[in-house]
Amino acid sequence: MSTVTLESITKRYGSETAVDGLDLTIRDGEILGIVGPSGCGKTTTLRTIAGFETPTKGDVRFDDQVVTHVPPEQRNVGLVFQSYALFDTMSVRENVAFGLKMRDVPVDQRRARADELLEMLDIADLADRLPATLSGGQQQRVGLARALAIEPHVLLLDEPMTGLDATLKARLRIEIADLLADLGVTALYVTHDQTEAMAMCDRIAVLNDGRLEQVGTPSAVYERPENAFVADFIGTSNVLEGTVRDGRLDLGVVELSGSFDASGPVQVVVRPESLDLGGPLEATVEQATYLGDRTELIVALPDERTVTLRADGNVEYSRGDSVSISIDPASVCVLP
Amino acid sequence: MTTPRTSPSRDDSTTGDETQEVESPTDDVDTETALGREPAFQVADRQPLSTLLGRPVVVGVLLLALSVLVVPIVTTFVSSFARTATGALPTGFVTLEHWRYVLGFGEYGVRANAIPGLTFSVGIATAGMLLNVLIGVPVAYALSRYEFYARDWVNTLAILPLVPGVILGIAFLRTYPERGGSALGLVVGYCLLKSPYMVLTVQSSFQSMDLRHLEESARSLGASWPRALLTVIFPHAKQGILAGCIITWTLAAAEFNFTYMVHTGDPKPFSLFLFRNISNAPYLQSAAAISIYFLIVVVAILVLQTIGNSGFTTVRE
Repeated sequence: MSTVTLESITKRYGSETAVDGLDLTIRDGEILGIVGPSGCGKTTTLRTIAGFETPTKGDVRFDDQVVTHVPPEQRNVGLVFQSYALFDTMSVRENVAFGLKMRDVPVDQRRARADELLEMLDIADLADRLPATLSGGQQQRVGLARALAIEPHVLLLDEPMTGLDATLKARLRIEIADLLADLGVTALYVTHDQTEAMAMCDRIAVLNDGRLEQVGTPSAVYERPENAFVADFIGTSNVLEGTVRDGRLDLGVVELSGSFDASGPVQVVVRPESLDLGGPLEATVEQATYLGDRTELIVALPDERTVTLRADGNVEYSRGDSVSISIDPASVCVLP
Repeated sequence: MTTPRTSPSRDDSTTGDETQEVESPTDDVDTETALGREPAFQVADRQPLSTLLGRPVVVGVLLLALSVLVVPIVTTFVSSFARTATGALPTGFVTLEHWRYVLGFGEYGVRANAIPGLTFSVGIATAGMLLNVLIGVPVAYALSRYEFYARDWVNTLAILPLVPGVILGIAFLRTYPERGGSALGLVVGYCLLKSPYMVLTVQSSFQSMDLRHLEESARSLGASWPRALLTVIFPHAKQGILAGCIITWTLAAAEFNFTYMVHTGDPKPFSLFLFRNISNAPYLQSAAAISIYFLIVVVAILVLQTIGNSGFTTVRE
């Protein structure tokens, strides 16, 4: 496994800039998630590391080696796609052994290695089946086994779970995260689903419009977003305008005491969980979304700004209800 | 479900929360009964017309189509073994007289052995087909995989040879006056004339798969580009290539216009053999000639399918 470094990567297609001066390091053995809205450059970044795109500017390094112009087949990277892209003309075992075959590993050795990986991914009994006869989750395991078989410098996962159902996704992501951690694989996990990224990754890089907005551990990105975009993209958040004076935050409708060290007009992030029902602030329910264990409420503050908060699932709310809310000053995050 | 909740508020939820479960249809029914509401509509007890008629109609159309297609072939084939065909139905079975006659072993008429010509034709058609695989598959691949300058023009050019064989025949004779009528000329001409069928079938095969990701998976696993194409991509298009082979072979074997225009000398290709035995010939004689064509085509298709089904696959339990 290796450390992968992207050094001010820029990729342009004609006048379109897909990635704009991206500096990013995937540390040895970590799972780095890349999240962002569609068209933000996630997939271009992944394809640049795999070698299918040559950056317009900048370099890709695996450890100390510059691989910017090394063709994909010599880079030794593992790829897992959303569409699985399994070879339907070959059995599951042959799919997994394909990379070793390309490296001229003797038949018995590559067979043994393939069986070992299938065993590891709990699909040993499917070795002789054709991929087309497997379920989505099984195919995804085969895809992962195939990519891991070559002991890649880095494993690149491009939205690998997008096609799977919610229950399977939840199970698979724990399994895969554990497996990758056990193997100490360096991995890049591209997804548009921030929950998935939070659950699986050691660090998360948030991309927007080809630029890196923030990179950090899931908790850092969630609790201390560096800008409104990150705050908005990671989790649900309410970004409010306010003014800090003498360590006190004035949100217009309410003033929060605390030690806010900025001064003047600021943007603050208030997560739904920092808002509680019952308190000094009057609000009107605009929309109530029942989600089983909780109800998500969008409420309008007296000055017509809306915020999202969570309430218990067993109380019924409807549009127009009056509620009172309070804000926990300790968990309000002031954007730099 | 404890508290029945009215649905509008939930239906309004368009947030992309992944954890939100879609409620099952049975829950909906229970809720409605519990509330004692009138269902919005009553599902009719009788079967809809489409269910009643659908299946018989489909079967009927299929049978009709099959009989329209098959009856003439069977009639022709059977008639070719009859002695006379003066009445509504041919009579006097079984004789091989007409078969012998058209193949050139008859006791009267042209006593030219037709078998070398047939073999020649089979060879030419096969060579044209193979050339088509070599050219058509890469062209189809390029057209489905890449965006390039003038792609639409290449696409049009690839379909252009669908023009009648006469046109291509004339163009050929003009351009290559010495070589045009040779065996090589026929092979190249057949290949060119039938290439759209190969390109189109293989192209649709490529378009139905995740071509780019398949190729990229193979390459990331260490296969060079040519190797990825040969070991992964082309085998995936097996069905399309096979269909293309069958179409190009059969059409090339029977191509009359082009052959008639360019070919001179012996052996006589298949289409000229058919022409000789169909124009101004008695019915039973042409029936025998057509039957021979059908037999050859059926054998060719069977052979191609057998090769196709065993050829590319590396696993088969």
